[in-house]
Amino acid sequence: MNAVQHRAVPENVQAVATLLASCDRAREKVQVAGGGTLSGMGYPPERLDVTLSTAALTGIVANERADLVVAAQAGTPIRDIANLLAVQSQFVPFDAPHAQYATLGGTLAAGWLGPRRHHYGRLRDYLIGSTIVLADGTVARAGGMVVKNVAGYDMSRLYVGSFGTLGVLVQANLKTTPRPPHARLFLAPLPEETRDRACAQLSALRVTPAAAFWVHGFNAIDGDDGDEGRILALLEGSDALLERATLELRSALGRAGVPETHVIDAGAHEGFERIVDAYVGCVGQRSVTYRLYPPPDAAFSCALRLHELVHRFALRRETIVDVMNGDVVLRVSDLDAHAFGTKIEAFDDALHAAEPGAQIVAGDHPSRPYLRVWGAPPPGIERMRELKVRFDPNRTLNPGCFIGGI
Amino acid sequence: MLRDRLVEALGSDAVKTAPEDLAVYAFDAYTDGGLPSAVVLPSSTRDVSAIVKIARDCGEPIVARGAGTGLCGGAVPLAGGIVISFARMNRVLDLDERNRRARVQPGLINLALSREVANLGLFYAPDPSSQLISTIGGNIATNAGGPHCLSYGTTINHVLGLEIVDAAGDVFETSIDVAGYDLTAAFVGSEGTLGIVTSAWVRLMALPESVRVWVAAFDDIDSASEAVSAIIAAGILPTALEMMDVVITRAVEAAFHAGYPTDAAAVLLIENAGFDEDVEASESAIHTIAVAHGARSWRSARTKGERDALWAGRKSAAGATGRIAPNYYTQDVCVPRSRLPQALRAVGEAAHENGITVGNVFHAGDGNLHPLLMYDKRDRKQVAAVIETGNQILQCAIDLGGTISGEHGIGWEKRDAMTRVYSTADLAVMARVRDVFDPMRMLNPEKIFPAGARCPEVAPP
Ligand SMILES: Cc1cc2nc3c(=O)[nH]c(=O)nc-3n(C[C@H](O)[C@H](O)[C@H](O)COP(=O)(O)OP(=O)(O)OC[C@H]3O[C@@H](n4cnc5c(N)ncnc54)[C@H](O)[C@@H]3O)c2cc1C
Repeated sequence: MNAVQHRAVPENVQAVATLLASCDRAREKVQVAGGGTLSGMGYPPERLDVTLSTAALTGIVANERADLVVAAQAGTPIRDIANLLAVQSQFVPFDAPHAQYATLGGTLAAGWLGPRRHHYGRLRDYLIGSTIVLADGTVARAGGMVVKNVAGYDMSRLYVGSFGTLGVLVQANLKTTPRPPHARLFLAPLPEETRDRACAQLSALRVTPAAAFWVHGFNAIDGDDGDEGRILALLEGSDALLERATLELRSALGRAGVPETHVIDAGAHEGFERIVDAYVGCVGQRSVTYRLYPPPDAAFSCALRLHELVHRFALRRETIVDVMNGDVVLRVSDLDAHAFGTKIEAFDDALHAAEPGAQIVAGDHPSRPYLRVWGAPPPGIERMRELKVRFDPNRTLNPGCFIGGI
Repeated sequence: MLRDRLVEALGSDAVKTAPEDLAVYAFDAYTDGGLPSAVVLPSSTRDVSAIVKIARDCGEPIVARGAGTGLCGGAVPLAGGIVISFARMNRVLDLDERNRRARVQPGLINLALSREVANLGLFYAPDPSSQLISTIGGNIATNAGGPHCLSYGTTINHVLGLEIVDAAGDVFETSIDVAGYDLTAAFVGSEGTLGIVTSAWVRLMALPESVRVWVAAFDDIDSASEAVSAIIAAGILPTALEMMDVVITRAVEAAFHAGYPTDAAAVLLIENAGFDEDVEASESAIHTIAVAHGARSWRSARTKGERDALWAGRKSAAGATGRIAPNYYTQDVCVPRSRLPQALRAVGEAAHENGITVGNVFHAGDGNLHPLLMYDKRDRKQVAAVIETGNQILQCAIDLGGTISGEHGIGWEKRDAMTRVYSTADLAVMARVRDVFDPMRMLNPEKIFPAGARCPEVAPP
């Protein structure tokens, strides 16, 4: 890394464009920084001259309440947007960890996938327009403020998950949706020999939960583990629907041999947020968190394979299985930082031999740059590299941070 | 030479070059253009790859074709070349019931998929009105919408991954569940200009337990459109919220007896589907708003038969206008939903000013207008008037903060209008994507991007 690093906090789109164009010409490398909540994703830049923070690009650009559309600058904290929408009885399923710090641009650029996507769709599907600044300073808009638009390629969605390597998102326009009036968080510790049946019941519910998890460990998440961990389910909807869903859920869990259930009404969303926050939570510098995306019916077999592997390496493990989407979140750690350091690289090799697609979403350990943070490159990787070349030929933006060395 | 090579690779049965055969592929539902050099009907991804490689060697452009129901000249071979018809690649390849997804070939008819999975309690949500004939490949290429996209989202929300043959004839796959750029998002809606879709994983949804359909009748278009804006502004998103004016309801009733009142200036067709509790509760909320905006009648479809008849009438509305004029042109624009009343007034004024009969039948809840402009294409003056009316409507949508196409696409028709909503820089960024996948502009040339110096010969709409 360079001896002198600059931190730039441009205050408007034009300033972003000027800064990027000058860095690009000078062949300086720029890292784009939002709220830092997902700093556990991706590789550190291979070289760094300027950190471009979006902290001064904040604020709602347009709140078209009657159109169910909102537009905000990229540095706006997710919490601010969510609060504004809540007052209007609207919402967008951001499901971003640490929403008070997470920025709109960062959440989109990281392609964050929330647990409620099974129910409400992906965040990308709420994105109806965007403004981006490319490395050469080009300011380009895509889409607009209408909810249906097929004029040209869907550039906005292409930027989602691009990890700041195609350009710097400076504004995003979102459609919103009516906010369900009520929420309820359901908690149940699982006694011996109940996990498989309980989870099968959960995924077969007629009134589907907005999100449902099997959790083992993760003290920051509500509830206590039974012999086989615990279940959390978020129900959202009208009063009448919640009543029905509660009955259904209780009897389903009863059939699975789960005697004890708890319900949280006041603070249901806070409880849900603690789950999402846990996805990226670290245990000092002694943990790494992997996230995998098997189809829902393969999630548990995947989690169990991982558990065996963890056992072989004598690491500690904590797990979240998103029952509705199939995501598996596995946090491995060790009580001893040194011991963790000696094991984690070999564990990472073994894990990727079994599950090539596993990604790392959190972990402060110094060896993180040597792990397969993105998993194996997907089949389209050569085209992705070409895209990068077209958008950022000098590799100015977040160089080396993304998959396959992009 | 071209024919010989194609026949050698695919067999004579899959290759058509007789002029009378080619003529059938020179048009879509918008326009007709030049004849292709050949039409090929592949049976597999490997066939498609072989065709593309041959086309490349021979310098022939390629146009993928589904059912040809496109409304913007997208599937028309304006620059000649090879048309690939997916009529023979129309199967469901995998059905993964537990994970609610299916892998399908591009030539599969949209409705055939929902029919095939109905016995599992599942359906494929995107439902363009053309779903009886249009293909999933064409739907993906245009990011097709439909009445139920108000709550379920357009095609892009339902595509999980694609198999693509690129301009070099190479095959690769995309998935929305892997790290890396979202190539799936780039391909959906790219109208065959980035690659050819040879199969797709699509999402299936559970059939709702309860479905209710209502018809609200209004004495003027203004009140109906204000009711729509008010329903959305109240934070109510029904499953579908469609509007038809009297020109359309009369045509529909004359043709199908679907159950619409013919004495109301406009009707709203409203559907809500979901759980019993919520669907029941939503009726009074929507009804109250409709009445407050002057609805003079409110009818609830009592049986599935009644519901189906109303929907069949709605989805066949365009065809029913044949009784009014020999031809119609469908404009497709989208405006912010609160601007619907203004937009509809402007449509009426533009039609009136140009002496054109207009019928409105559209996805009101999304702000997605479809004025059908009636005319007789043998009359040059009427043709000119329709073009002018369509153009005025387009400009009005732009002025209201809307877009030049909500769901039908840009194709050939609106390529030059792209500069009215996008800057040169915006378009150049799109072109960077094209440069990656089709640097030689051999895939569906003359589409989406504004014309350069060359202007192909095409018939007016
Ligand atoms: C009566 C009527 C009602 C309609 N209603 C609606 C509606 O409600 N909503 C809506 O969105 N549209 C509607 N349309 C428009 C049209 O049906 C849609 O655009 C549809 O998606 C086109 O499908 P198709 O199979 O006919 O494709 P085609 O017209 O054959 O092709 C459309 C475009 O897709 C490309 N393409 C086709 N297959 C492939 C492939 N495998 N790979 C790559 N590119 C491909 C073609 O090159 C072309 O650019 C309607 C049309 C009619 C005539």
